[in-house]
Amino acid sequence: MLTREPEVRQDRPTKRRRTRLWSALTLPGTVWMSVFFLSALLLTVALSFGTTDDLGNPHFGSTLANWAQLGEPAYAKVIFRSFVYAGLASVICLLIAYPVAYVIALHGGRYKHALIAAIVVPFFANYLVRMYGWSTVLADDGPVLRAARALGAPPSLTILNTGFGVVAGLVYGFVVFMILPLYAAMERMDVSLIEAGRDLYGGPLRTFLFVTVPSTRQGALAGLVLVFLPATGDFVSAQLLGGPNQIMIGNLIQQKFFDGQNWPLGCALTVLLMALLVVGLSGYLRRSRRDEQEAVR
Amino acid sequence: MSETSAVRLDGITKSFGSSVAVDDVTLDIRPGEFFAMLGPSGCGKTTSLRMIAGFADPDSGSVLLGGEDVTYLPPNKRNVNTVFQSYAVFEHLSVADNVAFGLKRRGVPRDERRERVGRMLDLVQLTGMANRRPRTLSGGQRQRVALARALVNRPKVLLLDEPLAALDLKLRRQMQVELKQIQREVGVTFVFVTHDQDEALTMSDRLAVMNGGRVAQVGTPEDVYERPADAFVAGFIGTSNVMTGTYADGRLTLPGGVSLPVPSRLGLAAGSRVGAAVRPEKIWLSDFEDGMVQIRGTLRETVYSGATTTYLVEIAPGVQLSVLEQNIDRSRREERWTGGEIIDLAWKPEHCLLLCETA
Amino acid sequence: MRRAFSRRRKPWFAIAVTVAFFGMLYLPIVVVALFSLNSQKSLTVFKGFSLRWYRAFFADHDLIGSLGFSLRISAVAMIGSIVLGVALALGIVRSRGKLGSAAGLVLLIPLITPEIVTGVASAMLFKGVGLPLSSGTVMLAEVTFSISYVTVILRSRVAALNPEVEEAAMDLGCSRFQAVRLVTLPALLPAILASAILIFAMVFDDFVLAYFTTGVTPQPLPVRIYSAIRFGVQPTINAVGTLMLIGSIALIGLALLVPRLFGRRESLSQLL
Repeated sequence: MLTREPEVRQDRPTKRRRTRLWSALTLPGTVWMSVFFLSALLLTVALSFGTTDDLGNPHFGSTLANWAQLGEPAYAKVIFRSFVYAGLASVICLLIAYPVAYVIALHGGRYKHALIAAIVVPFFANYLVRMYGWSTVLADDGPVLRAARALGAPPSLTILNTGFGVVAGLVYGFVVFMILPLYAAMERMDVSLIEAGRDLYGGPLRTFLFVTVPSTRQGALAGLVLVFLPATGDFVSAQLLGGPNQIMIGNLIQQKFFDGQNWPLGCALTVLLMALLVVGLSGYLRRSRRDEQEAVR
Repeated sequence: MSETSAVRLDGITKSFGSSVAVDDVTLDIRPGEFFAMLGPSGCGKTTSLRMIAGFADPDSGSVLLGGEDVTYLPPNKRNVNTVFQSYAVFEHLSVADNVAFGLKRRGVPRDERRERVGRMLDLVQLTGMANRRPRTLSGGQRQRVALARALVNRPKVLLLDEPLAALDLKLRRQMQVELKQIQREVGVTFVFVTHDQDEALTMSDRLAVMNGGRVAQVGTPEDVYERPADAFVAGFIGTSNVMTGTYADGRLTLPGGVSLPVPSRLGLAAGSRVGAAVRPEKIWLSDFEDGMVQIRGTLRETVYSGATTTYLVEIAPGVQLSVLEQNIDRSRREERWTGGEIIDLAWKPEHCLLLCETA
Repeated sequence: MRRAFSRRRKPWFAIAVTVAFFGMLYLPIVVVALFSLNSQKSLTVFKGFSLRWYRAFFADHDLIGSLGFSLRISAVAMIGSIVLGVALALGIVRSRGKLGSAAGLVLLIPLITPEIVTGVASAMLFKGVGLPLSSGTVMLAEVTFSISYVTVILRSRVAALNPEVEEAAMDLGCSRFQAVRLVTLPALLPAILASAILIFAMVFDDFVLAYFTTGVTPQPLPVRIYSAIRFGVQPTINAVGTLMLIGSIALIGLALLVPRLFGRRESLSQLL
C-alpha cells in the first residue's frame, strides 16, 4: 500500500486555483463599457436635473424644472408625435414585410439568399445618402409624384414636408429590421402547416391569417421592436422629409445641443426617450418569455 | 504492490454541485494494459478519465501516474494524452500539423518531428494524407488523426473517451480490432471509456464496471462475465436471469414455494432476500448430466433468431428464465414444442451465482 | 415538402408587393447614382453623362480630408473593438462567474439604445470630464459603440466551438493561454475578420454618433454630407454618396466572402 505521510503531501502542488484567464479577458471590455457607456448614461440622467448659467454652460443641480418643461404643450405635442410616427412606421413596415418575407422564404427557391442579400446590401449604404435619395424620389418634381399626377392625382398632392413624408422616411430607413426577423421566422415555419391550413380553412387569405401569422408572431413582434426603437429616436427623416412643422423628439434633442445650448433640457428629453423605450421593451420581453413558456408546454 | 501502477486512483471523489459524480474510487491500472472503464451514462467513468488527464480536480483523493502524484498538475504537465470523443481535430491545421502539434510544443527538432509524424501516420494508415485538411476527411479518418496526434508523443498512458461512439457499426468493429493491434504494437497503457459492454469485453485486458460513481467490479472480461459481483454487473454485462427469493441453508425459495439449490454462503442469515443469476446460455434443455440442478417449467415463448433460439420458460409465478440454445438441430424442437408445454431445465451448480442483494 | 408546396398557386398579390418593395428600395439609390453622372446641376432632369461631380469631389481638399478622417476613425474603431470584443466574447462565454453574465447584459444595452441617446450620453461624458470634442473623442465613442456588435457576433461563435478542441491543445502541452492563442483564435479567425470588416463599414457610414462627438475640424465624411444636404443641394454629394455606396457593397461582399475562403459557409443572417 502507498503510504500517505504528511511530508509527501506537503511536497505536491497545492490545489490548483481556478483559472483567472477568462476573468482577465472579460475585465478590460467591461471596464471600458462601464466608463464610456454606463457612466455616460448616468451622467446624462444626472444632468437632466441640472441648470444652465447665463453663458449657456450646464451645471449639475437638483431642479425638476427641465422635466416640468417637458409637460408643456409645445414639447408634449412633439413627444406624442414621435411615438405616433414611429408606431405608424412600424405597422407599415410590418404590412410590407409580411408579403415580402413570405414570398422570399416560401417561393424564393434557390434565389432566397440572393434576395435577402439584395435587401441587406442597400441597408449598408450610407443612411444619409439613402434618405437624401429618398427625399429626391418623393420630391414634388420627383418620379413618384410625377407618375401619380400622370395617373390623375391632383397637382396639389405633396409628400415632402408632411407627416406622411416623415413616416415614409422612417419606413425606408428601418424596414430591413422587420424583414430579417420575419424571414427567419418563416424559414423556421413548418410548411406542412400551410398545407394543413389549406385543407382546414380553404382560401389562401384565411390560411395566411390563421396559420402563417400566428406561427410567425415571435418574428413580427421582434421586428416591431427593432423598427420602433430607432424610429422613435430618429431626427434625419423628420429633417429631410418633414420640414420644420413635423419635428420629432430627436430634432428637439439636436436643437437643445447644437442650436439652443440648453443641455440639461436636452438630457431630460434623452432620458425620457430612453425611459419610455425601456418600458416598452420590458413589456415585449415579458410577452415573448410568456410565448416561449407556452411553446414549451 | 510488486510493480508500480501506470495509473493509480486513490480514493478519488468529485461532486458537481449536490450530485456526486465519482464516489471514493480506487483503481490500479497496470503498465501496458488495455483497461476499459465501462458503465451506463452518468456512472462517473468520463469524470474519472478527465481527472487522470488533468481536466478536472478531485475534491479528495489522489491521482498517481507511474507512482508520481499528479493530482493537481495541469494537463500540459502530465505525460498522458487523450483521444476525445469528438476527436477535437484542429480544423485550421493539416493532418501532419495536427499530429506534430504536441511534438512542436515540446520542442522536438524539425527532422525528428517529421520522421515520427510520418511513422505514426503509417501506423494509423493515413500514409499520403499528411497535407489534407481535416474537413476533407471522413469520421473514421478523423479518428485516426486524433489517435496519431496523441500517440506520437509516446505518452505513458493513452486515454480514450468513447472513441468509437461516433462511428457506424461496421467501422466500429474494424476499429476495435485495429486499436487493439496498435496498442499491442506501441505497448502503451490504454485506458478506454465506453458504455458498450461488447466493446469493453472484446478489447480490454481488464475492465472496471462502474455504477453511480462507484466501481462495482474490476477484473478480466471473463471474471466480470462469468462471476459478476452483484446484480448490477450481472444485468449490465450480457443478459442474466436474476431470480429473487428467500435464502436458507443453501436453498433459494422463489414465490409460489418453488425451491432451488444455490451455492451456500457463510454468514448469510436464513430468511435473507437474495438474488441468484444464471446466464441464458448456461441452461440446458436436454442430455442432462449428473449433479445438475434440475427444474421444471412452462414454455411461454419461442424466439427464433437465426443462429440461436431463445425460450422463455416460467419456473415459478412471475419468474421467467430465458434459455439460449444454438440451432444445431433445430427441427427436432420445432416438432416437439409449440408453447405451453411443461419442460425440464438444468444447469451446473457452479453456473448459478448468488448475488449480494443490492438496495 | 417544398416541392409539393411550389406546385400550389402562386401568391400573386404578395409577389406584386415584393416587386414594388424592391423598386422602392433601389429607386433612391439609383437616382443618386444616376444624377452623380449628370452633366448639369439639376437633380430632376438628366442632361447627359459627365464625371464633373466626381472631379469636383476629388478636387475638394476639405471633402478628401473628411474622407481620410473617416477612414482613420473606422480603422481605430475596428482594431479597438476587435481587441476588446474578442477578449470579451471569450471571457463571457467561458467564465461562468457573475462578472461574465453582468458583462453580457451590459453589452446588450448599446444595441437597443437609439443612437441619439448614445450620442448625447457620450457627448455629456466628454464634456463632463473636460475632454474637448475632437478627433479623439469620436474614436473613443465609435470604439464603445462597436464593442457590443463584435461581442454579440462572436459570442455565438465562441459558444459553438467544441470545448474539447481547447482541451486537446492543453493535453498536447499548451497552457490555457497558449491553447487560446494557438487553437481558439485560429478557429475564430474567419468570424473575426468578417466582423472586423462589418464594423469598418458601419463606423465609416455612421452619422449620428459622429455628429454628437466630433470636434469642429476635421469632420467625418457623413457629418460633412449632413451639413451639405442641410444647407442647399450640391450634386457633388451624389458623387460622394455613390462612391460610399460602392465601397460599402464591396466591404459587405468581402465580409461574406472571407468565411468561404476558409471553407466555411456562413449565411448573411448569422453575420448580422
